[in-house]
Amino acid sequence: MSCARPLELETLVAYWLGELPAAVEAPLEEHVFGCAHCTRRLEALAAFSSGVRAAVKAGLVAAVITSPLLEEMKRQGMRIREYAPSRGGTVACTIAAEDDLVVGRLAAPLAGVTRLDLRQIVEIDGRVVLDERLEDIPFDPAAGEVLSVPSASALKKMPAHVARLRLIAVEGALEREIGEYAFAHAPSPQ
Amino acid sequence: MPRQTALAALADGELARRIAAAGARVDSEAESELCRRLAPRVRLYGLRHLRDAQAAADLVQQVLLMTLERLRDGRLREPDRVASFVLGTCRMTVLEMRRGSWRRESLLEAYGERDEAIEAPEPLVLDAGRLARCLEQLGQRERSVVVLTFFDDKPGDAVAKELGLSAGNVRVIRHRAIGRLRECLGIEGDEG
Repeated sequence: MSCARPLELETLVAYWLGELPAAVEAPLEEHVFGCAHCTRRLEALAAFSSGVRAAVKAGLVAAVITSPLLEEMKRQGMRIREYAPSRGGTVACTIAAEDDLVVGRLAAPLAGVTRLDLRQIVEIDGRVVLDERLEDIPFDPAAGEVLSVPSASALKKMPAHVARLRLIAVEGALEREIGEYAFAHAPSPQ
Repeated sequence: MPRQTALAALADGELARRIAAAGARVDSEAESELCRRLAPRVRLYGLRHLRDAQAAADLVQQVLLMTLERLRDGRLREPDRVASFVLGTCRMTVLEMRRGSWRRESLLEAYGERDEAIEAPEPLVLDAGRLARCLEQLGQRERSVVVLTFFDDKPGDAVAKELGLSAGNVRVIRHRAIGRLRECLGIEGDEG
């Protein structure tokens, strides 16, 4: 099973996401319908797409997301807890067995910021067990907040702890902390 | 050569001609082979245009049952162009589904009593845990772009708007991220 003119992966992705003009899309579909090889490649892409969706819905992925995506997740019936500590503040939080996701809403003045890092420090009984810096996180300066999603499946296994998230604006060699937010997590009583 | 292997070696058009030649006697092996090949193409078309797994499954039943009926009745004039006929029928049926003039009940009424549902191969499924571990290895921007893109199959310009980036920038990040994920998942060359 081979194809003399296999479609570029980039073209298949653009087709799958509806980015191609109709004049390009129509002959591409003609090709796929007559080509077992390109059908198999498109099937792999569809499986990749549904796999990403399944991994997110299963709470296996930690990521920075956007407000429209959060709304779409709710529309699709995901059970989501949201916590929005003030800058410099602490919020008590948990995750229940039936929750799909927890979102930390970090409000911050992002206008003029070109690069943003997120430092995450996790303490259990006052002892630091994790200190990592996520570099160059995506954000929309106009949104005025960063939505941070931890892995729900990992969080459900965690004991009581405090997670401190620090947003750091980076401008060349200069750094400026623009907000710290503490999440005091207690496991949900089962 | 076993019969199934021999059928697998035939082109789509050759299978269609065999089905047409059998007519009411029904060449069920040739029909199964043709459906095995065409069902994934119809399902993918349905997913791409309807973004709904159940609607895509309904499309597979509707289009392939209609195709077999046409072939058996000798009403498909060019069996060699069966793939084009199937694509055309997909386009027409999806338009009807979008207009709301297509009813699932009609499919059940038309074909439900015949005990003749199309047996479509199971769709390919990736291990979500393995994929999640590969996503963890991406940079933050790449990971967010992949999640924003594929959670709801969003085009680059919509993702760009949400992130305050240019559409071109999102497409570059997306392309790089998919390449890294394919490598992590062990998918090579033009395999998928």
